[in-house]
Amino acid sequence: MSSISTKELKIGYGDVTVVDDLNLHLPKGKVTTIIGPNGCGKSTVLQTMSRLIQPKKGSVYLDGKAIHKASTKEIAKKMAVLPQTPDAPTGLTVYELVSYGRFPHQRGFGRLTEEDRDIVEWALEVTAVQEFADRSIDALSGGQRQKVWIAMALAQETELLLLDEPTTYLDLAHQLEVLQLLDRLNREENRTIAMVLHDLNHAARFADFMVAIKDGQVVKEGDVERVMTEDVLKEVFQIDAQLARDPRTGRPALLTYDLLSNSREKTEVLV
Amino acid sequence: MDWIQKRNRKSLLTIGLLALLIIISLLVSLHTGVIKIGPLDVVRTMLGVGTDRQELVLFDFRLPRLVIAILVGAGLAVSGAILQGVSQNGLADPGILGINAGAGFAVVLYIYFSQGLNSSLGTLSIFILPFMAMIGATTAAFLIYVLAWKKGVTPIRLILVGIGVNAAFGAVLIIFQLKMNPRDFMQATIWLSGSIWGTNWKYVLATLPWIVLLIPFAIYKARFLNILNLGDRMATGLGTKVEWERRVLLLVAVGLAGASVAVAGSIAFLGLVAPHLARRLVGPKHEMLIPASALIGSLLLLIADMIGRNLLAPSEIPVGIVVSALGAPYFIYLLMRTN
Repeated sequence: MSSISTKELKIGYGDVTVVDDLNLHLPKGKVTTIIGPNGCGKSTVLQTMSRLIQPKKGSVYLDGKAIHKASTKEIAKKMAVLPQTPDAPTGLTVYELVSYGRFPHQRGFGRLTEEDRDIVEWALEVTAVQEFADRSIDALSGGQRQKVWIAMALAQETELLLLDEPTTYLDLAHQLEVLQLLDRLNREENRTIAMVLHDLNHAARFADFMVAIKDGQVVKEGDVERVMTEDVLKEVFQIDAQLARDPRTGRPALLTYDLLSNSREKTEVLV
Repeated sequence: MDWIQKRNRKSLLTIGLLALLIIISLLVSLHTGVIKIGPLDVVRTMLGVGTDRQELVLFDFRLPRLVIAILVGAGLAVSGAILQGVSQNGLADPGILGINAGAGFAVVLYIYFSQGLNSSLGTLSIFILPFMAMIGATTAAFLIYVLAWKKGVTPIRLILVGIGVNAAFGAVLIIFQLKMNPRDFMQATIWLSGSIWGTNWKYVLATLPWIVLLIPFAIYKARFLNILNLGDRMATGLGTKVEWERRVLLLVAVGLAGASVAVAGSIAFLGLVAPHLARRLVGPKHEMLIPASALIGSLLLLIADMIGRNLLAPSEIPVGIVVSALGAPYFIYLLMRTN
């Protein structure tokens, strides 16, 4: 069962085609991670799925309905989007920003109802930012800010959450904190999550379903064991990878790698 | 949560305080001027028991221009607040962007061709003025939109294109003005620098409906402005028809600027300064920011008018020049801070 899918998708800017004939099915209730080298179109694909970019051809389907034809407000009730490094106006408080997540559910002058306030407070609590509620966004650290944005996406109350590199610019501990939060939301709240991740080990660790993209084409998709292989990484990233099994999570992990052009004998590296 | 209510209450209190300050300035303004009318006489005349002379000065000369100051100040300030919101650009202002220049250009053309600047305008013409101004303002806004917006707007690019549009309208206007006789030339120059002399109740009626309709509409659209302020992507993700909402809001901003310029000439920097001060007082949420901007705009224009009338009395400084003298340094300060 797929929650969001693409059919014969063609995406491009001007005359340049970035993605051609892309067919993707992201499974419902799962965490999907999308990996690929810089400029491979992974972000473009995610943005098209979140209707931030109009495709040149083909369609994105959300629960079987073409997304570019549906009302954007109705979609916003089913799918929340967190673009890369969003910007908040100076002076806006955490609570106010998170309450903007209620936007697609509001009418008229948009006063927050009792229900809206409950949901906002729940979102602040789940993401552990309620202690900053009355603080201005610009006074927060990068990690806290990212959690606030996620809280806003949660306040939108959607079953699908699309995130574009949610861990960029965060330090190691904050990266893991954000990913574990998303993982928990998937398990406890049964939210479908799809995200572009830069870090391969994070992508492998938190994915139920993985997609490897190169030059706008899906090289491999499926469960982690099928995608996180030395062959796939060689084709996608042009690297000679050495994988190992993470003793803590049991997932495949990138131990070390070389560029294909100056790859060494594997035995040399093995200790 | 308590603090949200506290913040809202604080914002409402600020707004109430601003309204009070406007009433005070209004009363002070009514009693100052070349013909002195004491505070007590002001109140007495307002209640209908003043002398004929006092009634004439207050009701036919002073009050209409103060009402115009309140309306125009609010109109330009809200126009600026909307422009700053949709462009995510704190430097946007209908004057700086050339929207006022476009409106002014259309108005001068209209007056010149319909009857010359010296004769006073007929009632019908006065009511046509805002429409003419809006056509000019929309043309300017359209130019800015096509030249700057479509290719992704950076704050500086928007301002540069705006200054270009402003200069272009100014240049065409000068060519046109050179063909006028010296008297018309003077009139046009004074009017273009923003003045509210010689206003009467007809001007008030010509601009009032626009301001009274468009500002509440802007407040109604406040939550869209809030969301647009998060950037196009975030706004789309939250279910906004970004391009549509932006155009609607731009039209509101242009309408307010046009209606203001039609009766008061081009007053720059008010739309820049008022929303900035308002943001400091009530924060960035537009539900509070728009009313606060409107009140600050009215208050600033009332004060500028008082200064303009009394500084070199009995001759007057156009109110637009007073506002520019106060607003331009603030603009330069903001410009320096963006880099």
